[in-house]
Formats: sequence, C-alpha cells, structure tokens
Amino acid sequence: MSAVVDSHGHPADEHGQHDQHGAHHGPYGGIMRWITTTNHKDIGTMYLWFSFMMFLVGGTMALVIRAELFQPGMQLVDPDFFNQMNTMHGLIMVFGAIMPAFVGFANWQIPMMIGAPDMAFARLNNWSFWLLPFAASLLVISFFTPGGAPGVGWTLYAPLTVQMGIGMDLTIFAVHLLGMSSILGSINIITTILNMRAPSMGLMRMPLFVWTWLITAYLLLATMPVLAGAVTMTLTDRHFGTTFFNAVGGGDPVLYQHLFWFFGHPEVYIIALPAFGVVSTVIPAFSRKPLFGYTSMVYATFGIAFLSFIVWAHHMYTVGMPVEGQLFFMYATTLIAVPTGVKVFNWVATMWKGSLTFETPMLFAIGFLFLFTLGGFTGLVLSMVPIDIQLHDTYYVVAHFHYVMVAGALFAAFAGVYFWLPKWTGRMYDERLGQIHFWLTMIFFNVTFFVQHFLGLAGMPRRIPDYPLMFETWNRISSIGAFGFGVSQLLFLYIILKAIRHGEKAPRKPWEGAVTLDWTRLPTPAPYHSFETPPVL
Amino acid sequence: MSNNLKTALVLASIALATYAGIIAKYWLLNG
Repeated sequence: MSAVVDSHGHPADEHGQHDQHGAHHGPYGGIMRWITTTNHKDIGTMYLWFSFMMFLVGGTMALVIRAELFQPGMQLVDPDFFNQMNTMHGLIMVFGAIMPAFVGFANWQIPMMIGAPDMAFARLNNWSFWLLPFAASLLVISFFTPGGAPGVGWTLYAPLTVQMGIGMDLTIFAVHLLGMSSILGSINIITTILNMRAPSMGLMRMPLFVWTWLITAYLLLATMPVLAGAVTMTLTDRHFGTTFFNAVGGGDPVLYQHLFWFFGHPEVYIIALPAFGVVSTVIPAFSRKPLFGYTSMVYATFGIAFLSFIVWAHHMYTVGMPVEGQLFFMYATTLIAVPTGVKVFNWVATMWKGSLTFETPMLFAIGFLFLFTLGGFTGLVLSMVPIDIQLHDTYYVVAHFHYVMVAGALFAAFAGVYFWLPKWTGRMYDERLGQIHFWLTMIFFNVTFFVQHFLGLAGMPRRIPDYPLMFETWNRISSIGAFGFGVSQLLFLYIILKAIRHGEKAPRKPWEGAVTLDWTRLPTPAPYHSFETPPVL
Repeated sequence: MSNNLKTALVLASIALATYAGIIAKYWLLNG
C-alpha cells in the first residue's frame, strides 16, 4: 500500500486531463515523508497500516483470551489479567483497528471519488492520524503501570472505573485523543464532501461509499463528544471530588451507561455504514450492473443513522427501567431492520441477473452479506426485552456483535483492500491466495463464533476466565477456530506484501464493472497528486 | 473566510457545544 510515489511519466487520462503534477512537488524521502505528509493518499496508507498493526495486537489479545478458555479452570493467566485482555482487546479493535481502517479508505477514496485534489484540511488530516499512535501507546503503556491496564471492559463502566489504578487515567486520556482524532477527521471529511466535489457532481450523483462516509462523519461528530464528556466526568470523579457516577455522593452509575450507549450504539453504525459503502461499491462492480435502488440506499442510510440515536437503552434492559421505556427501545430497535432490510434486498437485487464473477473482493462482499445478515437477525433476537433479559451478558451477545463487527466490518474492509489495492499500488494481488484467504477466514470465523451462540443460549456468561465443565466442548471448538482465524490473517499480510513487491502490474481498470472516478478518470496506480484540475463530468 | 473554514467552524462548534453541554448538564443542573 505504499507504492504510490509520484507521477513521473504518467500520461494524461483518457479524457485528456493533465492533472498529475507530482514531479514538481513530490514527497520527501524516508521517514520524513510519513511524518510531514499532507497527502491524502499517504495518510490513507498510514491509517491502513496502523489499523492492521492494531488488528494484530488486538488479535493477539483475543488469542490469549481464547487460550485461557480452551478448557475449564485457570491455566495461563490470572483473572485480573484476563479482564485487562478483554478490555484492551475491545478498545484496540474498535478504536485502533476497525475505525482507522475505514478512515484509511475514506482518505484514499473520497477525494478520488468526488474529483477533489485532496482533503479540505491537509495539515489537520496529518494531525488526525498522528494522534492515533500516541493514543495506542497510552493503552499499551497502561499494562506496565501499578495495577496494570483497566479490567473494566471496553465500555468503561462506572463505578469500576472510579476504583481502577493509574492505568485507567492513561486509558481515559487515550480515549480523549482517539475522540479528538475522530472529530477532526469527521470535520475534514464533511467539509471535503460538501465543498470540494467536482462541478456537476450533485449529492445524489455521489458514489454510495461517499454518502455512507458523509453520514458516518455526522454520527461521529454528534456522539464522540458524548463519550469524551462521559470519560471526562469519570476523570473528575476519580481525581477532583465530583460524584457524577458515585452513589455515595448522590451520583448514579447508570447515568454513565446511558451516556456511554448514547455514543456506543451509533458507534456500531459508525463502523457498519462505511462497510456498507464498500460493499455497495464492490457488489455492483462484480455484478456488472449499477447498484439497485441507489436513492433508497441513501435514504436507508439516513434512516439507520437516525434510528441509531434512539435505541441506546436496548443495551441496558436489565438495569431496571419502566416497561414503557423497554417497549419504546424494543420497538425502535426492531424498526432498524426496515432500512437494513432495504439495503440487503438492494445488494441481492444488484446481483440478480448480473454477469457475476467471484474474485476475492466479491467473495468477501458476499461473505459480508451472508454473515452480517445473520448478525442482524441475532440483533433482532436480542432486541426483544424478555429474551434479552435471559441472554444479557452471555456469549450469545459476544457471538452477535462479532458477526456484526468481524463478519460485517472486517470482511468489508478485506473486500475494500483487495478491490482498491491495484489502484493504490499499481500491482495485482495473487488471486489464488486471496481466495484461500477468504475461505480460511470464512470457515474459521464461523468455527470461532457460531458455536458461541450455543454457549450463550446455555447460559455461559461473558468476561469470565473459568467456566463449568458443561461448556467445555464448544469452548474448545471456538478456541481452535480463533487460532485458525488468527493464522489466516498472517496469510493476508503475506498476500499484501507479495503484491506490493512482486505483484503483476495492474491494468488501468482491472475490474470492468468499476464505474467511479478513481477507476475511470485516473491512471493506475493513482498518481501522487490527482484531480488538481476538477474533472468535467 | 473560506467556505471550508466556515463549514469546519460550524462543525467544530457543534462538537464542542455537545461536549461541554453534556458535562454542564449534569454538573450545573445536577442531573
């Protein structure tokens, strides 16, 4: 993903536009290129590599968890460290791996898809990225503080957070940095999309990937400050004598849960909507048909975003709320199935009677479609108050959100990387290895997580390092699947490195069904500077 | 002032107001 250097010798595109002037102001060499860059492609590349590194770190933590759970009893780690692993796995995967991956896609693709020369605020873009390694370092350093990293779960629930050691303060500061990065990134993305589109590219002519990111950026802007506020209040409870969440001083721990989930549920869609955007780009390209129901897709995205703000308390049915409240949140949650169903229907209808081929991006997109829908269904199950009260905090919930986060977001991210890798690097990946990567990922994902539904239905609680003997079989299978899944991702790394170093030269448009400006108006690989002159549509 | 800057300032003020507003609501108004 780092093969884009400058545009020496690139010919004008097929429309005769000479918009590649990288030879005049190419990048610095060496490390300074990456530290000082304001180029959206460089920054996109850094986001993607950073997210992959965090994916490996968070994945290693998941393997520690699964190794401990391979059999009943305490084998490898003490319970406190197990809790720390759970907490950091969640935080790192959500904030360090998945979100930055899609911001990487946004950086690379949005300017090229709307015909803009770069992001609106190029220096701010650099800063947004460089906040992330510092935040990640704080999270990792927290393991080495007295008391270790916080073991409170990624939700950082009070009052546990008030009692943790100094690692909690580092985590709070990390969350602030991550939030700041996301807010600055969102401001940049919204401004770029609203103000810098090519002339005559109206909003309803934008690629759906751009639409999903526009709406996602608004979600981030509205919810990240709420999380930042909640952890700031946690900080003042810890050190400045306030009692926002401490019942002793008249505070309320449940207030934290309300604030967290007001951020936390839209967060699910902050991750899912860009994934929808990637899939909405890949499926039409390999179906060789326009996306079915473009307008309804846009409105469905709006619908999902709106509903995501009024369903947060379905994470909290068991805290004790009036039945009217439970009913409201149950019905509102169920309603999300409507716009989501519109999307699933439209993706299937796009494939219907298309000239389908099944290259690796399409396989991951179809894998996404199949498994994300399954995750959506278990979400519907959990939205039902009487069922959720039984399944709350069990492995059924763990299975559900991994079908959404991994099979949803991660599969879409893989689809996007394989799809755009030729555009980014000018090299093709090894198709055979890509397909092997897909099938290994697909099989081991289900081995890991499908069986967790059974564990949850049987009553196994989440976030415990030990369990009764009756849960052993499914736990063993799940752990074997997790290690297989982890090893499969090393193959992904090999495929990418092999493509960058030794891959065949990519043709200008390797996917004949690709129709966005990045494929139709720019050479492959994309020049360091693109669309310095706005394209005429 | 450029259009980009205007847009960014509006968006940033929304984020800042939300952040400060959440804390102020439960601090000054006591829940």
